[in-house]
Amino acid sequence: MKVLSLDTATASATCAILDDNSVLGEITFNYKKQHSLILMPIIDELFNNVGMSINDIDGFVASKGPGSFTGLRIGLSTIKGLSQGMSKPFVTVSTLDSLAYNLAYTDGIICPILDALRDNVYTALYNFNNNELNRISEYVNISIDELIEILKEKNCSITFVGDGVPKFKDKLIADLPEASFAPMHLNLAKASSLGELGLNLLSKGITDNLYSSVPIYLRLPQAEREYADKIRKMKNE
Amino acid sequence: MEFVVTTVEETYKIGELIGALVNSGDIICLIGDLGTGKTHLTKGIAKGLGIEDHVTSPTFTIVNEYKGRLTLYHFDVYRVNDPEEIAAIGFDEYIFSDAVSIIEWANYIEDLIPLNNLTINIEKLPEYGDNYRKITIQYSDKRYDYIKELKQ
Repeated sequence: MKVLSLDTATASATCAILDDNSVLGEITFNYKKQHSLILMPIIDELFNNVGMSINDIDGFVASKGPGSFTGLRIGLSTIKGLSQGMSKPFVTVSTLDSLAYNLAYTDGIICPILDALRDNVYTALYNFNNNELNRISEYVNISIDELIEILKEKNCSITFVGDGVPKFKDKLIADLPEASFAPMHLNLAKASSLGELGLNLLSKGITDNLYSSVPIYLRLPQAEREYADKIRKMKNE
Repeated sequence: MEFVVTTVEETYKIGELIGALVNSGDIICLIGDLGTGKTHLTKGIAKGLGIEDHVTSPTFTIVNEYKGRLTLYHFDVYRVNDPEEIAAIGFDEYIFSDAVSIIEWANYIEDLIPLNNLTINIEKLPEYGDNYRKITIQYSDKRYDYIKELKQ
């Protein structure tokens, strides 16, 4: 099975073509958000350089988020369009899953963090047991302070990965001195990682529905927003 | 800082001066009743940013994007019933970007506006005449200190 995978949930615009045995090619730009401009050209470039066309693809993989609202819509609508046009299935995978998968075989907790602005992060907690990536929490949008409090209670090693790392690294080191950080080349969303998780799902016959599949935007729950507003107003006074 | 203007051209000129000074990431809130000149001020700011495109009010499109010396996002949230609607279009990604954001009727979505903004109020002064406007510029973050240059 050959799949085309796209992830535009973060600043990284990344696409890859994979078959059952290997990543045939991958193009990633992690420079500003210019997804709507470069996505189609890099897909085209990728096909040209692996000597394939869209007709050779058996299935598609897109990020379902969380992440940039605009980015998610660009990626998912592109994949839905290709999937419908080619009458081939697609499946969505969370960018948090794919970032955690970048750190396969890491001991303890793997904690991908994506910058959700206003000092919040999109995150979930993972571990790697029996050669399997396991998500051990919900996908959440929480303040970095809240995440640190949650992690302080865990009695094991913690490794951070994701585009939130450069922004919050100093704070994380100060509050969680034992924490580790992914190397730079694994710290960005990669369509190859997303694609491998997606290919596993597609080969089991797991697919998304064209009409009902939507990204997970993960807005803060209303109650928390109101609480945050209240705090902000108090600080204002 | 306050200005009293009596013509649309003066409003435009103040905008143009501001537009020449703004920096990447600035957030400008425009507050004032219908017909006070918010869009004219925006047109001036766009001109000052070197934007040649015709600037129109994004009352129905919510946000328009222009390319000049910096990217400009021009919001008009007059028709918004609930700040939630604006949040749902990815508002944070716009205002926390490298661009300059101008938000007309920012008072309608107060909860979403960061504290480090530049607020410009435009009020009519009917006691002086139909065309009189008082433009009041306020900010608390020193990043906007360039506004002081306007008085010179």
